[in-house]
Amino acid sequence: MAVMVDELALNNPATTGGALEISIAHKTFATRQGLLTVLHDISLAIDPGEFVCIVGGSGCGKTTLLRILAGLETDYAGTVRLDGRGVAGPDLNRGVVFQEHRLLPWLTVHDNVAFGLARLAPAERTRKVEHYLDLVGLKNFQYAYPHQLSGGMSQRVAIARALAGCPEVLLLDEPFASLDALTRIRMQEELLRVWQAERTTVVLVTHDIEEAVYLADRVLVMSSEPGTIKNVLPVDLPHPRERTDHEFSRIRKSVLDEFFARGTLE
Amino acid sequence: MSTAEQNHRLPRKESTTPTAESLRSEKRSRHIHVADRFLGWIIPLSILLIWEALARGGILAPNWLPAPSVIARTIYEMAVAGDLWHHVAITVARVAVGFLIAAAAGTFLGALTGYLPIARKLLDPLLQSLRSVPSIAWVPLFLLWLGIQETSKIALISLGAFFPVYLNLSVAMRHVDPKLLEVGKLYRLNSFQMVRRLILPAVLPEYMVGLRSGLGLAWMFVVAAELLGASSGLGYLMVDGQMTGRAAIILGSVLLFAICGKATDWAMNTTGAKLLGHRAR
Repeated sequence: MAVMVDELALNNPATTGGALEISIAHKTFATRQGLLTVLHDISLAIDPGEFVCIVGGSGCGKTTLLRILAGLETDYAGTVRLDGRGVAGPDLNRGVVFQEHRLLPWLTVHDNVAFGLARLAPAERTRKVEHYLDLVGLKNFQYAYPHQLSGGMSQRVAIARALAGCPEVLLLDEPFASLDALTRIRMQEELLRVWQAERTTVVLVTHDIEEAVYLADRVLVMSSEPGTIKNVLPVDLPHPRERTDHEFSRIRKSVLDEFFARGTLE
Repeated sequence: MSTAEQNHRLPRKESTTPTAESLRSEKRSRHIHVADRFLGWIIPLSILLIWEALARGGILAPNWLPAPSVIARTIYEMAVAGDLWHHVAITVARVAVGFLIAAAAGTFLGALTGYLPIARKLLDPLLQSLRSVPSIAWVPLFLLWLGIQETSKIALISLGAFFPVYLNLSVAMRHVDPKLLEVGKLYRLNSFQMVRRLILPAVLPEYMVGLRSGLGLAWMFVVAAELLGASSGLGYLMVDGQMTGRAAIILGSVLLFAICGKATDWAMNTTGAKLLGHRAR
């Protein structure tokens, strides 16, 4: 019976899936000075369709945590389960967006988005690519090359590429960190729109507290050495959120207080 | 930096989108480019004219430096007589065969050492030390082993053209951006797909550079091979011109070498530009 349920979930990824159960005892890296513990004692459940932001200073292991969720790091003590199935490596059911767009310079925007869809029939592939390019507002740029795009546009293509595999979870690692402030705000709104349209689970790593409070259902605050989750703060505000709103400011301040409490930042 | 390149980078720098305006300015810069190339012709043409005038005025001795028109006529007469084609064809054939062998070997060994660290550790030190021997230094050995016929000439050309192909490909494959390779990992490409869909396209620009310099060296070494002992080919024509004291034949051969070399380089470059498409470097 359990197998059948799993198969059903496979066939309808976006509607039913996207629940993450994370339980990491520790993750170490070998350095010249010996073993360095980057993550310690992290257990966390993320609901399907939830938007979670992980904030932390540099070196707190937040990127490592995201890479574990993506399946790019497999050498750690613990388990990550997506809809009950263990995560053993990368898969199309998790889309990843990095800080750099990582588009392939020799492919057009269209072909970049289609990169992971080689198994689909050409007509189906084109339909999907056009759908997601339309979703991020770049349908007219499908024949452009990455070097012809601005930073924000490139990152939108990267989001489209990550979504094209119809993932249950979208993982973003400081996706807007290298964009200018105005573009960043536009991209945050864009991402919210995409999330509301696709209903995927989203895990976004950032060091921008305002960004986290603006986007997330829950903000996870990480502390460093060893990296662990220090506190979880729910953000019960309806979208669209007003950054100057009183309640917004209050939550932002409480996240900030977490940061400057002892032991979080040096 | 040429104007064309500059223009290529403009849209990115201003972080604007490719619009009709940027396309138009691209067209405008192409006009400037043509004007630049015209500028480049002024001095060579002037030198030719002065040279011609000096030769006709009897200031330059015809057996020392014949007039450009005399050189042109010499080439023309040999072409009409027919033996010129024979010499050009045999030289081109030597370059082609030698270069193809070098490209094949360089591609195979370059890809092998670029992709497999163990192959690099085994082979690269040996190949690098062979590279530090000037290729011409092998000539006596080649003559001893392979005789003075075609084989030794082809061997010299292949050896000379091999290294840039090998080196460029091997180094480029080792330095493919690991961040791009990670994208391949995310989409679960196997090793074969990794090479075909990520590594090969990523190294194509460097590989083309390697092929181009290899081809240039093939032309260099065909001259050496033919000067050292041949009974046909453009190099032989030069030796013949020297023996018989006809500077026009030597200069004519030099000119033909230049034309052939430039033509193959252009063909290679055009193919490369087509393969590389619109990507920016």
